[in-house]
Amino acid sequence: MLFNSLSFIVFLVIVLVLYYAKLFNWTNKKRMLLFASYVFYGLWNPPLVILLWISTMVDWVAGKNLAIEKNQRKRKLWLLLSMFVNLGFLAFFKYRDFMLDNFTAVVNTYGYGYQTQPMDIILPMGISFYTFQTMSYTIDMYLRRTERARTFLDFALYVTFFPQLVAGPIVRAGELISQFYEEKRATINQFVWGLFLLTIGLFQKVVLADTLLSDTADTVFGSKSILHGLDAWTGTLAFSGQIFFDFAGYSTCAIGIAMMLGIILPDNFRYPYAAIGFSDLWRRWHISLSTWLRDYLYIPLGGNKHGIVRMYAALMITMLLGGLWHGAAWTFVIWGALHGIYLVVERMLKTKIHIKIGPYNGIVLALLTYTLVNFTWVFFRAREFSTAKNMIASMLFLNGEGEKVLYSFDIIKVFIVITLLFICHWMMRNTSMKAVSEKTSPWVLGVFWAIMVFLIAISQGSGEQFIYFQF
Amino acid sequence: MNLKQSLIIAVTLSVISIFAWEFYWRNQGKIPDLDDDKNLWAVQRARVEDASDKDVLLLGSSRVLFDIQLNEWEKETGVRPIQLACAGSSPLPVFHDIVNNTNFTGTVLVGVTNGLFFSTTFPEAGPWKRPQTRVDYFKDRTYAQRLNHWLSLPLQKNLVFVSTSEEAWSDDIDLKSLLNSVTTGNRSGKPEYPPFNAFAYIEEDRNNPMSEKTATDTAFANGIKAVWKMIMTGDGPPPDKEATTKFFVADAKKFMDRGGNLILLQCPSSGLLKEGEKKFMPRSEFWDPLVEATNAKAYNYEDYEQFQNFECPEWSHLSASDARFFTTELVKIMKADGALSNSKTK
Repeated sequence: MLFNSLSFIVFLVIVLVLYYAKLFNWTNKKRMLLFASYVFYGLWNPPLVILLWISTMVDWVAGKNLAIEKNQRKRKLWLLLSMFVNLGFLAFFKYRDFMLDNFTAVVNTYGYGYQTQPMDIILPMGISFYTFQTMSYTIDMYLRRTERARTFLDFALYVTFFPQLVAGPIVRAGELISQFYEEKRATINQFVWGLFLLTIGLFQKVVLADTLLSDTADTVFGSKSILHGLDAWTGTLAFSGQIFFDFAGYSTCAIGIAMMLGIILPDNFRYPYAAIGFSDLWRRWHISLSTWLRDYLYIPLGGNKHGIVRMYAALMITMLLGGLWHGAAWTFVIWGALHGIYLVVERMLKTKIHIKIGPYNGIVLALLTYTLVNFTWVFFRAREFSTAKNMIASMLFLNGEGEKVLYSFDIIKVFIVITLLFICHWMMRNTSMKAVSEKTSPWVLGVFWAIMVFLIAISQGSGEQFIYFQF
Repeated sequence: MNLKQSLIIAVTLSVISIFAWEFYWRNQGKIPDLDDDKNLWAVQRARVEDASDKDVLLLGSSRVLFDIQLNEWEKETGVRPIQLACAGSSPLPVFHDIVNNTNFTGTVLVGVTNGLFFSTTFPEAGPWKRPQTRVDYFKDRTYAQRLNHWLSLPLQKNLVFVSTSEEAWSDDIDLKSLLNSVTTGNRSGKPEYPPFNAFAYIEEDRNNPMSEKTATDTAFANGIKAVWKMIMTGDGPPPDKEATTKFFVADAKKFMDRGGNLILLQCPSSGLLKEGEKKFMPRSEFWDPLVEATNAKAYNYEDYEQFQNFECPEWSHLSASDARFFTTELVKIMKADGALSNSKTK
C-alpha cells in the first residue's frame, strides 16, 4: 500500500479511529496495529507476509536465547542463525540473479559456455529495510547493547510497524520497542504536527518528485543518444531532486503517521544538499542507514582505531556494500565506490588543509559537494554503464554536438526547483522544520499548508511506486 | 506556534481552493469522466476468466472501441460484450493472452485497423507495448491497486478536477499536464505534435461513445485530424506484414481448434485517412490475405451498402449515433450469417 493512495487514506482513518476509540486496551491496540501492518504489507503481495513472519520468529527466538545464554560460543551461533536467515533472504530474493550472472560471466571467461536461466523472483517490498532493522536487534542483543523485547507482540510490532516497514527509517530496537511498553496517545499538537508532516511528505513525493522532476529525469536517462551537456546536467539535477523528494517524502510521511499515533521515529534526512563535505553528507542523508552501516560494518571492520590504511579500507568496504545494498547491479557498486573515494580523499585533505567554514566559503563548499554528489547519481540512476559513461562525458561538456532532448521550459522548471531546493537546504542547515514553524505565524503556516494540499489534490498521484521500495 | 489555528486555516483554504478549481473547470465545459486506464481494462479482462462460450470479447484498437456500442449489441443479441480493445494498439498481444492464458471458447471479434494490426511484433514498439502493459498489469495488479481503483471510481464519476488520464491527453487538467502544455522552446528541432485532446467519454464497462463535441464542433475535430495527418506523414517504421500475420494466424488456429468463434472486422474511416490506408495498405495486400490465412469469418465495411456513406468526424472513428447504427446493422448481418453461433440470439 502506498502512502499516496486512496486506499491508504481509508486504511489510516480506520487505524486511527480504532486506535483512539475506547474499544481496546493497550495490548489489544498493539495487536490491532500489528494486524493493520500485515494488512498494509499483504495488500501488495499476501504470501510475502510469510517472510516477515519467519524473520520475526527467528529473531525473536535468537534474541531470547542471546539474552539468557551465557556460553559465548552458543551466543555466537544464535547470532549467526539470525544473520544467516536475514542475509539469506536478501541473497536469495535480491542478489541471486546478480550473483548467478557474475558467476556465469566468470566461468565463461574460461570457455565453459555455461548458461543460466534467471528466476525472475519477485523482490519483496522493503526487504532490505526490515531485514536490517531486525538484524540490528540481534546484533545489539549479542553485544548486550539493548534489552530483550518484553513480549513477542512488542517485538513483532517493532519488525512490522507499518509507517516505516517498507522504506524506513531503519529504527533500532532501543528507539522503538520501549515505546510500545506503555500506552501511547498523541497530544493534539503532536497529532496536528504529524498531519502536517504527512502533508509535507506527500507534497514532496506527489508534487515535487513525481510532477515536477520525474519526467525530465526519465527522458534524459531513457535517451539512447549522446546528450548535450545542458540536457545531461538538467536530467541529473532533476534526478537528484526526485530521489531526495521521493525518499525524504516517504520518511517524512512515516514520521508524521507514527507521530499521529504518539510514536516518535528518528529523523532520516537533515537537509543533505547543504552538506559541506561527504562526512557531513552522510550525517544528513538516509541517516538511519548510514548510522547502521557505521555501527554494524564500519566500526567492526576497525573504524578509525587501527591506523589510517585500515580506516580507509573500512570506509571503502562500507561504502561499496552500502552501494550494493541499494541494488543488485555494478552501477550501484560504482556509486558506493565513488562515495567511498570522496570520503577517503576528504579525510586525506582534512589532515593537510584546515579551512575555517564561514557563510561565504561554506555555501561554495556546499555547492561543490552537491556538484560532486550529482556525478554519483548518474551511476545510481543509469541502468547501464554505457549510459552513465555518456552522461558523465556530456556533463563534462565533452559532447559539444550532443542531442538536445529537453524543452527550454523543462530546463527552466528543473533549475528553478533545484535552486529553491538548495537554498532551502542551506537556510535550514542548522535548524529544523519544527524550530522554524514555531517562529512562523499560524496564518502563514496555515496558508502554506493549504497550498500544499491544493497542489497535491490537483496533481493526483501518478507515481505508483516510491523509488526506495525497490531497495 | 498555534498548530490548531494553522490546521483550521489550512482546511478552510484547501476546501475553498479545491471547490473553486472544480467550478472553474466545470465552467470551462469539463464534465466528470472516467480514465480509460489499465485498471478499467483489467476489470474487464478479469471478466473473461468467468466467461462462457456464449460471451463475446471485443479486441482491436480504437475503432472497435468507438464503433462497437455495447448497448446496441446487447439489444440485438442479449449478450453484453466484454470490451478489451485498446486505443493506439495492436490487438495481437491481447488475443495472444486470451488464447494462451484462458480457456475461453466463445466469440472473439478482432478489429483490424491495418496500420496497427500489421505494425509490429517487436515487444518494445508502442503498438505492442501499450496493450502488453495492460495484460501484464492484469496479471500483476495488487489488492491495493484494485482497492484504489474501486475507491477512485465514485470520485472520477463526480469530480472534474480528479480527471486525469493514462493517455496524457493535451486537455487533461492535472498539474503535470497543465505544465506540459507550456511548450516553449523546442530545442530538439523535432516536429511537434499538435494538441491531442480527448474525444470520447468512456463508461465503467468501457463502452466508449465519441463525445458530442467531436461530432458537432468542426474546429475541435480538425484538431484531431491534424494529429492523424502528423502520424501519417511521419517517418514511422514500415509494416511487418509477414511477422504479424504469422503470429496472429498461429493464435487464431489454436483458438478455433479448441472451438472458439473468431470474427475479423474492418471498421470505417474517411477523408485523408481512408485515402492513405487505401494507397499504402491496400485491401488486396493486407486484409484479404489475412482473412484467407486465418479462415475466420470476416466483415469489411466496404462490402455493405449501408456502411458506404459514413463520414467520420475526425476521419478515424464514427460519431456516437453512427456507431449505434453501425453496431446494430453489423450484428444483424452477422446474425443472418450465423456468425454469432456461439451467442444466444433473440
